[in-house]
Amino acid sequence: MPPSSPDHPAQPMKPSYLKWLLGQGSRQGLWSLPLFIALAIALGLSLTTQQFTSTGNLFNLITQAMPLIITAIGQMFVILIGGLDLSVGSVISLSTAILALGGPAYVLIPAVFLLAALIGAVNGLVVTRLNVHPIIATLSMQYIVLGVTRILRPVSGGTVPDIVIASVSGTLLGIPLPVFWGIAVLLLSWKLLHGARFGLHLFAIGGGIASGMEKVAHNFGVAERRNILLAYVTCSCFAALAGVFLAGRIVSGDPNVGLLFELDAITAVAIGGTQLSGGVGSLHGTVIGALVMALLANGMNLTNMSPFIQTTVKGAILLLVVGLQSRKKMGL
Amino acid sequence: MILADKTWQRLRRIPPSYLVFAALLLTLWVLRPHMMNPNILGIFIRQIVPLGILVLGQLLVMRVRSIDLSGGGVILLINYYISSGLFPGASMMTFVAMAIATGLVIGTFNGVMIAKRRVSAVIVTLAVSIVLVGFVQYLSSGKPPGDVPAMFAALYNTKLLGIPTPVLLWIVLTLLMSLFLARTVFGRAVASVGENLSAAHFSGVAVERTVIVAHILAGLMAALAALVQTASIAVGSVRVGLDLPILAVAATILGGVVFGRGEGGVWGPFFGVLSFALLFILMTTLGVDEPGKLIIQGFIILLAAIFYGVRSAKP
Amino acid sequence: MASLVEMSNIAKAFGGSIALKSVSLALTPGSVHALMGENGAGKSTLMKILAGVHQPDAGEIRIKGERVTFARPKDAIAAGISTVFQELSLLPNLTIAENMFLGREPTGWLGTVDYPTMNQLAERALAELGLSLDPRTLVADLTIAERQFVEIAHGIKADANVFILDEPTAALNAADVEKLNRQIRRLRDAGKAIVYISHRMDEIFAICDTVTVLKDGELVGTKPLAQMTPDRLIAMMVGRELKDLFPPRATELGEVVLDIRDFRIDAAAKSFSLSLHKGEIIALAGLEGQGQQKLLRALVGLFQPAAGTVSKGGTTLPLPASAASGIRRLQAARIGFIPEDRKDEGLFLGLPVSHNITMALHAGRPSLALAKPYQREIAETLASLQVKSAGSEAPVASLSGGNQQKVLLGRYLAADMDVLLIEEPTRGVDIGAKSEIYKLLRRFTAKGGAAIVLSRETIELIGLCDRIYVMHANTLVGEMPAREATEHRILDAALVA
Repeated sequence: MPPSSPDHPAQPMKPSYLKWLLGQGSRQGLWSLPLFIALAIALGLSLTTQQFTSTGNLFNLITQAMPLIITAIGQMFVILIGGLDLSVGSVISLSTAILALGGPAYVLIPAVFLLAALIGAVNGLVVTRLNVHPIIATLSMQYIVLGVTRILRPVSGGTVPDIVIASVSGTLLGIPLPVFWGIAVLLLSWKLLHGARFGLHLFAIGGGIASGMEKVAHNFGVAERRNILLAYVTCSCFAALAGVFLAGRIVSGDPNVGLLFELDAITAVAIGGTQLSGGVGSLHGTVIGALVMALLANGMNLTNMSPFIQTTVKGAILLLVVGLQSRKKMGL
Repeated sequence: MILADKTWQRLRRIPPSYLVFAALLLTLWVLRPHMMNPNILGIFIRQIVPLGILVLGQLLVMRVRSIDLSGGGVILLINYYISSGLFPGASMMTFVAMAIATGLVIGTFNGVMIAKRRVSAVIVTLAVSIVLVGFVQYLSSGKPPGDVPAMFAALYNTKLLGIPTPVLLWIVLTLLMSLFLARTVFGRAVASVGENLSAAHFSGVAVERTVIVAHILAGLMAALAALVQTASIAVGSVRVGLDLPILAVAATILGGVVFGRGEGGVWGPFFGVLSFALLFILMTTLGVDEPGKLIIQGFIILLAAIFYGVRSAKP
Repeated sequence: MASLVEMSNIAKAFGGSIALKSVSLALTPGSVHALMGENGAGKSTLMKILAGVHQPDAGEIRIKGERVTFARPKDAIAAGISTVFQELSLLPNLTIAENMFLGREPTGWLGTVDYPTMNQLAERALAELGLSLDPRTLVADLTIAERQFVEIAHGIKADANVFILDEPTAALNAADVEKLNRQIRRLRDAGKAIVYISHRMDEIFAICDTVTVLKDGELVGTKPLAQMTPDRLIAMMVGRELKDLFPPRATELGEVVLDIRDFRIDAAAKSFSLSLHKGEIIALAGLEGQGQQKLLRALVGLFQPAAGTVSKGGTTLPLPASAASGIRRLQAARIGFIPEDRKDEGLFLGLPVSHNITMALHAGRPSLALAKPYQREIAETLASLQVKSAGSEAPVASLSGGNQQKVLLGRYLAADMDVLLIEEPTRGVDIGAKSEIYKLLRRFTAKGGAAIVLSRETIELIGLCDRIYVMHANTLVGEMPAREATEHRILDAALVA
C-alpha cells in the first residue's frame, strides 16, 4: 500500500457507527456492550420486580454504586499503565477507621487524604524505583494497611464527623447529595484523564507497555516514573474518597468494609472495556462497568439472593470478563 | 576487587530465607531459649506443613512467571466436603481421591485460562478463590460445618522414623519436586519458559503446555495441602487456609524464587516456610497480636520482593 | 565552516560489550552527513547518544562550541536535535497528532491539552511532507508506509537544527524516497545539519555530502562523498576485500529439500512458488517489509498465509501451522527457525551456554523423560563454534554479541536440522564473528544442509548465498544467481515489478 500523497489522497476514514460502537478506531475499548448489558439488567429488574423503579430504590442504587464508581475510576488510572492496585480495599477501610477516630473534620479529612497519598506514593516508588511487580507491591501494602487499620479499630464502631454523614445522606434542591458526589468525581477524573497531559501520558505509557515499546514514551520526554507514581497516588486518593463516602453511609469506622473492594473495582474497570494490559480504556466505560456491578448487586438483593452466592457470582463475572479480554502477554 | 565482586555476587545468590532462618533461630534462642526443643519445634513445624506443600506448587508456577492465589478456595472447598457430612460413610480414600480430583480440575482451569486465554494469573486465581469461598459459604450458610472423620486426625498424629508423618510427607514431596525440576525435560522447559518465554517457544518448548502443567501440579499441591490442613484442625471451618496462598507467595520469594527465576531451587522456599514457622513462634511467644502479624507479613513480602527487584534491576 | 555539532572521542559499553571506542563526528550546517557501517558497527548507538537516549561513558558533545550533556532525550530535543529512530517508535493507541506532540503538547486553560491546536499543527506538519492524513487517526489504523512517514514528520520538528534520520527509507518505495529526499534538501538549504543512516548506496550518493564510516565501534574515517565510489565505500565498511569475508559458494547442489508451492501471503497478493536444494543457501531480498519475514514466519505458524503448500523431501507439512505448535512440528521435521532478535526471542541470557545449546534437543523428547546430559553434543558444538567463553556453564549474557549469535546458531546445529530458516544471521556482531558465522553456515550446507536467509544487509545476502529471490508487495518478483547479483539489480527487480 503506498502512503497517501497529493496524487493519491488517503481515503478519509468513514465515520462508521458500528466501528464506534465496537470501540474500534479509538482507545476507549468496548464500552457499548456493557452499556447494553446495564440497560438490559435495568429493564429486566423493572419488569420483574416492583421495587426497582421506585425512587427510593434508584437513589439507593446510586448511593450503593458510588463507592465502587469512585474506587473503580481510581483503579482505572493504574490499569491504564498496565498496573494493578490491590491495596485500595485496605485504604478504604483505613479511611473509615481514621474518620471514626473522633476529632474535628478539618483535621481528619485532610489526614485521610494525606495518608492515602502517602500509601499511593510508596506503592509507586516501590514499583518504579525498586523494580517490584505492582501486584506484589500493592498486595503487601494491602496487608500492612489492613494491619494498621485493625490496630486503630479492631471492630466496627466509633463516631464519624457529622459533616461527613450529612454529605452523603442529605439532599440539595430535592436531589440527594450522592448525585452531586457523582458529578464532582466525574468532573475531577475527566479533568485528570482528558483535560491534562497526565491522562494522555498515562495512555502513552500504557500503550507502550502493552505493545512492547516500553521506552518510547520516555524517549519522547514523558516523565514515566513520575506519571506512574502519580497514577498510584491518584488511585489511592480515590479509594480514600470512597472511604469517606462509605464512612458517611455506615456512620462508623469498619476495618472490614473495604474487604474485596479491589476485586470489585478491577471487575468494574474490566467490564467497562478497559484492557488490563494497559493503554486502552475510558472513563465512561468504567462508570458503566461499576453500574453493571451495582445493578447486579441491587438485583440480587431485590430477589433475595443469599449474600454468599453473590460473592460467587461476582467472582464468576470477573472470570468471564477477563477471560473475554485477549492479550499477548502470558502470566501475571 | 574482582574477587570481592565475585564473592559478593555469590553471596547475593544465597536465598534470603537461609539468612532469615538463621537470624530468627538465633533470636528465638536468645529470647526464648526454652522453645529450642525438638518436640516443641516439631509441633510448630507440623502446623506449617500445609503452607510448605502449597509452596511447592507456588514455586513451580512462579518459575514460569505465573502465580496461583486459588489455594485458599481449594483448601476451603476440600475442608468443607470432608467435614460437612454431605458424603456420609465415604472412606478416607474416597475423600483423598475427591480432593485430588478437585485440585486437578481447578489447576487445569487456571492453567488453561492463563496459558491459552492469556488472562492475568492474579485475576484468574483470585477470582477462582472468590468463587469457591462464596460457594462454600453459601452451602454452609456461613456457619462452620461438622467434624472431620477421626481417621484424618489419627493419621496426622502418627510419627514415622521419629518424624511427624505430615512433616515427613512434606520432606518427601519437596525431594520429589526437587528431582523433578532438576532431572526431567519438563524441568528444563520450566527454566526456559521462566527465563525467556519467546526464546523457549523458538527452541521448540511447548510453552502453553508447560504453563498448564505447572498449574495442574500447583492444584494438586493445593489439594494435598488441604488434606493435611483438614486433618490438623480436625473440624470444618469457613475460614481455614484463606491466607495461605499469599503466605506461600511470600515464602517462595523469601526462598529466592521469583517470577521467572529459580535460583533458590526448591530448598530456598523450604527454608522460607521454616522461617515463617519460626516467625509465628516468635510472634506468638512475644505476644504480637493479629494486626501486628498482618503488618509483619506485609513487610516481609515487600522486603523480599524489593531484595529481588533491586537485584534484578538493570545496572 | 564551523561545526554545528561536535562529538569527540565518544565511548560506550553495554555491560561487557563495547559498542563505541573513541568515535568523533562533526556536523556542519547545510550539509547531509551519511553515517555508514554494517549492522552493529555502532551507528545507532552513536546517534542515540546524540539524541540523549544513551549517555556516553567517555568523550564530549559540543553544540555551537558549547559543551552539553544530555541526561535524557528531552534535553537533546531542547538543544535542537530531532530524531527519526530506526525502530518504529509510534504508540499504536495514540493518534497521529498525539504521537507527534508527545511530551510537548500545547496546553491551554488550567493545563488542558489543546487538542484543536495540536491537530492543526500536526496536519500542517504532515502537509509539508505531502501527506493528507487525518491527524486524529489512531496510529494502529495506519499502513506501515504511512507510519514511516508519520515517524518522519514526527522527527522533523520545525525548531530543530540537527536532524537524525536513522534508516528512514527502509519501508519506502522509490517514489516515496524521492518525496523524502526533497524534504531533506529543503532542510539542508535552510542551513540545518542532517545525519542520514541508510543501507542503500544509491540514496547515499544521491543526497549526502560527507560520509563517516564506523566499523566494530571504531571510526574508520570521514570523507567527502565526491571522492568516493560505492566500491570504495563498501571496502571501508567491511574493512577487507569482500571475497575474504565470505566462504566460497556451493559447487554442486542436491535434490530439492524444501518446496513451497502456490504460496499466497495474503488474499490480495499474487501467489508464488520457490524451492530450496540440498547444499544451497538462498536469500529473500528486496525492500524491507515486503513479505520476506511473513513467508518465513508463516512456515512456523506465527503468520497465517492465505494459501500454499510446503513440502520437505516429499512429505507435506501442514499449513496453516498453529502458532502454539508450529515450531515444534517444524523441528520434528528437522527444520530449524532462528529468530532475528537474539536477546528477546533467541537466547536465555541468564542461563548457561549448555542450556541454550541443548534446549532444542531436550524439547524434542517427552516432558517426563529424564533430561540427557548431552555432554558430547555440547562439547562438539562448542568446538565447532569456536566460542571463546568461560565454559559451557557460563551464562550466555556474559558472552560478546558475536559469540551469543554463534551459540544461538549452535542450538540448531546441535539439534541436527536439515533446513535452517534464518532471520538476520549476523545482526549486531563484529566482522570477525560474521566471517565465522558464514563459514559455519557453509559447513552446515556442505554436509547436506540447506538454508533460507533474510537480512537487511544486501551485501551479506549477495556474498553468502547461492541464489537470491527478490520479493516485493508480498510476492516473488525476481530470481537471480547470487554471483550475478548487485544491490542495484536487486532494487531494480523489486521496483520494476
